[in-house]
Amino acid sequence: MKVPESGVVGQSVRRTDAIDKVTGCAVFVDDIPFGPNLLHSRLVRSPHPHALIKSIDTKKAEQLQGVRAVVTGKDISARLGLYLIDRPIFASERVRYFGEPVAGVIATTEDIAVEAVKLVEIEYEVLPAVYDPVESAQPDAPLLHPDLGSYTVANFIFPEPGTNISENFKIRKGDVETCWSDCEVVAEEKFRLPPIEHVPLETHTSIALSEKSGQVTLWASSQSPFAMRDMIAQSLGIPHNQLRVIAPLVGGGFGGKAGVTMEACAVVMAQAVEGRPVKLRLTREEEFVGTSVRQSLVSEIKVGCDKDGTLLGMELTYYFGGGAYNDYGVNIARAAGYSCTGPYDVPNVKADSLCVYTNHPVGSAMRGFGMPEIHWGLEQIMDQLAEKIGMDPVEFRLKNCVRTDDEIVSGMKMTPIDLEACIEKVSRAIEWEKEEKPTAPNKKRGKGIAIMWKAPAMPPNPGSAAVVRFNEDATVNVEVGGQELGQGAFTVAAQIAAEILGVTYESVTVSYPLDTKYSPYEWQTVASRLTWSMGNAVKAAAEDARTQILETVADHWDEEIDDLTIKDGVVISFKSEKEQPLDKMVIYGLPNEDFEGWKGGPVVGRGHFMPTYVTNLDPETGQGTRAVVHYTVGAQAVDLEVDLETGQLEVLNIASVYDVGRAINPDLIMTQIEGGAVHGMSSAYEELKFNKSGEVLNPSFVDYRIATIADIPRKIHGDYVETPIDDGPWGARGVGEHVMVQTAPAIANALYDAVGIRFSDLPLSADKIYLALEEKTNQGK
Amino acid sequence: MLARPGLPEFDYIKAESSQQVFKLLAEKGSDLKLMMGGTDLFVQIRDKGEGPGILLDIKDLPGMQEITFDKKKGLKVGAAVSLNNLFRHPDSVKYYQVLCEAANTVGNYQLRNRATLGGNICNASPSADMAPAALVLEGEVSLSGPDGERVLTLEQFWVGPGKTALKEYEFLTAVHFPNPPSGAVGRYLKLGRSKMGDLAIVGVAVLGYPDSEVPAGIRFRIGINSTAPTAYRVPRVEELLAQSPLNDELLRQASEEAMKISAPIEDVRATALYQKKMVNNLTFKGLKEVWSQLINS
Amino acid sequence: MVTHTISLIINGTEEQLQVPSNMTLLHALRDKLGFTGTKNGCEAGECGACTVLVDGEPMNSCLVLAVELDGREITTVEGLAEDGKLTPLQQAFADLNAVQCGYCTPGMLMSATALLKRNPHPSQVDIQGALIGNLCRCTGYQRIIDAVLKASRNGGER
Repeated sequence: MKVPESGVVGQSVRRTDAIDKVTGCAVFVDDIPFGPNLLHSRLVRSPHPHALIKSIDTKKAEQLQGVRAVVTGKDISARLGLYLIDRPIFASERVRYFGEPVAGVIATTEDIAVEAVKLVEIEYEVLPAVYDPVESAQPDAPLLHPDLGSYTVANFIFPEPGTNISENFKIRKGDVETCWSDCEVVAEEKFRLPPIEHVPLETHTSIALSEKSGQVTLWASSQSPFAMRDMIAQSLGIPHNQLRVIAPLVGGGFGGKAGVTMEACAVVMAQAVEGRPVKLRLTREEEFVGTSVRQSLVSEIKVGCDKDGTLLGMELTYYFGGGAYNDYGVNIARAAGYSCTGPYDVPNVKADSLCVYTNHPVGSAMRGFGMPEIHWGLEQIMDQLAEKIGMDPVEFRLKNCVRTDDEIVSGMKMTPIDLEACIEKVSRAIEWEKEEKPTAPNKKRGKGIAIMWKAPAMPPNPGSAAVVRFNEDATVNVEVGGQELGQGAFTVAAQIAAEILGVTYESVTVSYPLDTKYSPYEWQTVASRLTWSMGNAVKAAAEDARTQILETVADHWDEEIDDLTIKDGVVISFKSEKEQPLDKMVIYGLPNEDFEGWKGGPVVGRGHFMPTYVTNLDPETGQGTRAVVHYTVGAQAVDLEVDLETGQLEVLNIASVYDVGRAINPDLIMTQIEGGAVHGMSSAYEELKFNKSGEVLNPSFVDYRIATIADIPRKIHGDYVETPIDDGPWGARGVGEHVMVQTAPAIANALYDAVGIRFSDLPLSADKIYLALEEKTNQGK
Repeated sequence: MLARPGLPEFDYIKAESSQQVFKLLAEKGSDLKLMMGGTDLFVQIRDKGEGPGILLDIKDLPGMQEITFDKKKGLKVGAAVSLNNLFRHPDSVKYYQVLCEAANTVGNYQLRNRATLGGNICNASPSADMAPAALVLEGEVSLSGPDGERVLTLEQFWVGPGKTALKEYEFLTAVHFPNPPSGAVGRYLKLGRSKMGDLAIVGVAVLGYPDSEVPAGIRFRIGINSTAPTAYRVPRVEELLAQSPLNDELLRQASEEAMKISAPIEDVRATALYQKKMVNNLTFKGLKEVWSQLINS
Repeated sequence: MVTHTISLIINGTEEQLQVPSNMTLLHALRDKLGFTGTKNGCEAGECGACTVLVDGEPMNSCLVLAVELDGREITTVEGLAEDGKLTPLQQAFADLNAVQCGYCTPGMLMSATALLKRNPHPSQVDIQGALIGNLCRCTGYQRIIDAVLKASRNGGER
């Protein structure tokens, strides 16, 4: 069957959701109206980072007028988790981070719920806490999970019971010990970064309703309604078809809404007040304290090259501060492990990537899933090594960057990419060779480059399904389980469907909200996987629908399917030049001659996609045939200035180029590149700050600062290259996370170029930079 | 522990007259709080999770939103004048540049439609953006009570972080700024964590004006925030600058002196050492710019 | 707690409602009147997602009491388009992909609408100054600036 090329796919069509969003019609979960029977809930949160719960007295709270129920952890023994089932819904014996939910109060108004929270009396026995992952990995550290050995765990995660280590991913490749003697130069450094937050503009919100019939409905701001359903259903013993998750548009996810954070609390609370919907909405402060964070990381890296600058060996340990519960964190440590070298060809590698429990908020998926964390150190140490061997940073990367078919750190062959092209493009765009003059006498200017890679970090069998349904007037509804977070997933789905079906883009609607009762399955909207995986499923569903149509028409005209095509909603025969508009026939079919019977009927196409080739990795060596489905790569270069009087950085230009396989919607890729560059830049100075008692000191926009409209670079030079993979729609793969992975180290490298100081710890605050500059000047005296 | 959703419960009363205000202040005591723009108050009671029983809104009382300028008496700014209205008023723009410059750095445009000069001064935050400019313009506050009005200088009014000399029976009605000295030029330099918006990590206001009676030929007034329990002037530094002919070296000495006087505390926003260094750098920069403007005019 | 009977003129239509003293305009709009276009992002005047126009001036509706605005005119994002026709600003946001998750968009539109009214030809810096109180986590802001510039060339906010 011939498929048309270059119709809607490859065009920068306008987003399907643009009009809804600019008119205020777009519905987010807090916008959904519920009737007067809606109850409001608030969570009682731990004031301690680590403590035993000695007693909980809810009597006074229950007696407050308007309070309908108070729920505690003692009512539920179930735990939550995908890979490591370690997290209670409400803490029952012990709390492990400041802000952990200990109880939930449900009341007729939010004001009453707020008062009721104050009346819950809890007695704690404070335990010593540990925040640093290296400290926590030591045998004498306070133990956060004495029962680690009893937790259910996926067969590719290896916790160490009796310790705080929830995962230790190992790479033992080649022979690192002997390679050092072949190295001309070696660089060794320790890098650190603190936990940071996703900071979506829409805070986590959910409403749950548990009915006497047994049906439970959960409305949530969720990237992954099916994963949410699966986790909660399993945890609470609800049959999947009795738990319905409805997920409207998401006001920013970035990984923070990928799994279950507070939604299980809402369900448990709803079960306590059967028949009435219960709303749980986090304040901005709770969003900072009580949702998940990007893990902290201490990385110790040693890397060496020969006299020509060819990388020979790498030895490293990653200590991820996984927070109080490490369910997602263990997979992040694993993903960081099998990609631990960064996008380089390194033949000898000894690596240990650990996820360690710490008394911080839950470490979880955040845009990049371990890659930004490890590239912070990797991209700087490569610059350090390049300097030692006397090579230019761009030259060094061109020499050593990974290429298609290279055997990479996990032993698999690199999937099709062109990282050299990305490097060359950014270095041209930033005018790498040219030394720029600072814009003022009190400033110093510098340029830096950083490259990256990332593979979707998934179990080996994550599936996507899609349905393509025609309506009587030949408009199309596309049903998917992949979520629109703003990245343009619905737009891409509509484009792919329109392209294959031969209908106009405008006639295609993607059904939303996502609803596990009706939407086809989607593993999760994470890992930058939708364009590839959901895209494949939509393509297959559209092809199925198309085939149904062409078969009916071919039969009706007594022609061959190969002689037919569909263009702008009309089936056309190349042979006879006959035409058959789609409308009506896609539901009612076509009549036989003289109306002696009918053919066809309602056209419903279905499709699915699941990769079949990912293999296990050896637990001792990390080697395997196929660790991941594919890699996406990219390069960024930064041109910045430092104000010597204040230490403030201003990023002047960012050049950012990624290999996307195939641009389904070029402008949407550019929007990811631009948004990612600013997000990446912001991540260089963000920090969740804690005091010695594990309390979050900056749980608000006042003191947790994210990039504002005044902080953006003067120019972002964005571009992409297209090296198709063999199993993406038109060769496409995702890029939503990649675009912010290496901005922070690119900035650090540019800063080094400008002032000759290497900053191995995030954040890059003006305070830190200024005092370091002063110290350097004083040392010079 | 954490800020609550929405605002705590209270009764809202819109004041009809000063008499009513005095009566309620006397009757209700600490169970009543006065409000105008609410931008500090609402955030604070949300944070605390509880507030006063009564919020008494005084922003529409006569005169509270008026700005009047008199060539002899100077600028009178009603306590409830919003920062945007202050910033836009032709007389403030013409004669009180440094006050406008400071007003324009506070928070964001939306907040400035609600935040008031009087509120900023009563809130007495050590890092108040309006404070340094108000100090170098030698502003005074009019406090109205049942027995009449009294006037205090800002130095008398701010007694500590969040603490003022306002008595429980009175309220701020206006802020007066005398006519600045002839030929005065002023600048407010604010260091935040982003280019615009944000609080002041350190803020320095410098006012300079020609004065043939001092050896320097120019007198400076310097106001600094964020680095002491209240915003403050630095008379020792101002004297130092007046006593000798001006040059870069003197400005550097003066800035260093200001830095020595500053007493910042380490907090979540910045280290104490950095804040001290920034007092030095911002003071120097402010002095240079004002001096250079004066020379060129 | 005292309850007040007030009327708010929302997008040109008078709405009568009863509000407790402590109800902010944000909650009155969203929970009492169903104008859910205005969003709750922080309730502290920092993110701008709740921005509405009061007598044409942008304010954070999370820091204004509904009772304070008795009789006043309020414009929300729902009141921008007239008879189904988008304003040049809304059109520019849609055309330039200045929208991703869409949560900051209503607030951005309100701040920018007011800006174009008081300054029909703003520069990039003017726009940045006017929108500093509107945070966006998705777009990187440049497209939003470009959309305001485009709208200013196409006849302003209306």
